[in-house]
Amino acid sequence: MPLTTETMVLNMGPHHPSTHGVLRFILRTDGEVIHRCRPDIGYLHRGLEKIAEQLPYAQFMPYTDRLDYLAAMNCNLGYAITVEQAAHIEVPPRAEYIRVLVAELNRIISHLISVGTFAMDIGAVTPFTHAIREREWVNDLFEELCGARLTYNYIRFGGVAFDLPEGFLNRLSQFLDYFVPRLEQYNRFISKNKIFKERLVGVAVISQQQALDYALVGPNLRASGIDWDLRRDEPYSVYGDLEFDVPVGTSEFGVLGDCYARYWVRIWEMEQSVRILRQCIAKMPEGPYLNKSKRKLKVEPGEIYVRTKAPRGELGFYLISQGGIRPHRLKIRTGSFSAMSIVEELGAGLMVADLVALIASLDVVAPEVDR
Amino acid sequence: MEAQGILERIKRIIGEADLVWIDDQPGDPYLVIPKEKLRRLAIYLKGDPHLAFDTLMCLSGVHNMGEQDEVEVVYHLYSLRHRHRFILKVKLDRPAVFPHFYLRVDSISGIWTAAAWMEREAYDMFGIHFVGHDDFRRLLLPTDWEGHPLQKDYQEPDAYRGTSTTREETEGILAEESG
Repeated sequence: MPLTTETMVLNMGPHHPSTHGVLRFILRTDGEVIHRCRPDIGYLHRGLEKIAEQLPYAQFMPYTDRLDYLAAMNCNLGYAITVEQAAHIEVPPRAEYIRVLVAELNRIISHLISVGTFAMDIGAVTPFTHAIREREWVNDLFEELCGARLTYNYIRFGGVAFDLPEGFLNRLSQFLDYFVPRLEQYNRFISKNKIFKERLVGVAVISQQQALDYALVGPNLRASGIDWDLRRDEPYSVYGDLEFDVPVGTSEFGVLGDCYARYWVRIWEMEQSVRILRQCIAKMPEGPYLNKSKRKLKVEPGEIYVRTKAPRGELGFYLISQGGIRPHRLKIRTGSFSAMSIVEELGAGLMVADLVALIASLDVVAPEVDR
Repeated sequence: MEAQGILERIKRIIGEADLVWIDDQPGDPYLVIPKEKLRRLAIYLKGDPHLAFDTLMCLSGVHNMGEQDEVEVVYHLYSLRHRHRFILKVKLDRPAVFPHFYLRVDSISGIWTAAAWMEREAYDMFGIHFVGHDDFRRLLLPTDWEGHPLQKDYQEPDAYRGTSTTREETEGILAEESG
């Protein structure tokens, strides 16, 4: 009797530990191999763009926290810069440095979650607790700064909400002194771990052409070997005055553009963020932290597209104003959205377990996909 | 290349007729083109080695209900090779009767793959049909959702699948509980 085989449809999610929020994949599998993988998104759609049209500019700031709750500072910053450019608001130098400082600190903890959950998704549970332990310290620092540990609502048009508390910079350098050796330890434990490498090297390779076609951004783009960083190439805020390198994926450890390359780019980015933070501490100018001259916000009719670099890559705000106190249209373009769209093409032909590695390596965060 | 230089090259390939260049407003200048020319221009923008727009940064729908009821599709293009950007717009009239017959434009998902999901989102939110798209359906909202929420005249439905979208029923309970 001939052995009959048929493909099976498997639902992965919406509640699955590796989906980082609520995502669903409809898989057609042949044994362990995926024939087709279709992402089904929208479970966390909150209509942020519609809400933005109904609120005065300043009141939308807390919603940007929820855009990507792992990188609330960066989302705050992107939105603030957009409105400031449209309304011509000056930002004092001290505020600019504080902003870069909190943005880079947030990038570190966002990447910590990313690499921690990455290890957990493919079966190593302990590294996650290591990452969370380091992140806790930063959460404490942020709490001291603005009272919140996750959704900060800290950045204002024209500056920041509060000045740095007494002794904050000292405690920050203490954290950095503690963090750098920890990162090396983390690398010894996980990054160079043989099992970890075997699971990731050569899995789900994204070519440069694919990365461009799907408009990938951030670490996912750089892991494919494209040397592009908004902070360096289109500097905003005070990034132009700071020195840092742009980590680009290499084929030194595996294959250019594979899961392992994407993992390493995030580790290296954390090292660069530490460098930027040290310079911010050394260069922190005195002076006002908020430009209070423009209390009545008026945006003249026109349109503007501003992008900044969030941990998940370019965060673009497309703002159309027709005058008045509310935006006519605010389109939010996020890194996770384009990263999700490539999963269907890359997923075909992978093993089910490798799909988990792929999703983790793209570092998608569901609320940022759905908005 | 500067936006003006890109505009000159575009004029040379598809002619000056019907192009509207808007640069007198604050913010970024943009080019409005007739929808029939979109696909041809898109292929050229990506393929021409002097322009080489290799990424589609953003695709947005916009609904205006001022003097004219119209829906815009906005394409933000970027060239990583040359580090320049350009903004294209297509305007679609939205008449009161059978608007969905008129909100149609060629899909560019075959040119920039990233457009595939962005176009699905624009359909979901604005009801714009992208002709020639491989897998055209809603993206974020459920398939049986009625209407396109980012249209300015969108009315929120009272219920979805028998579940009320307002909180009127619970208001009574709240009042009772809080005495």
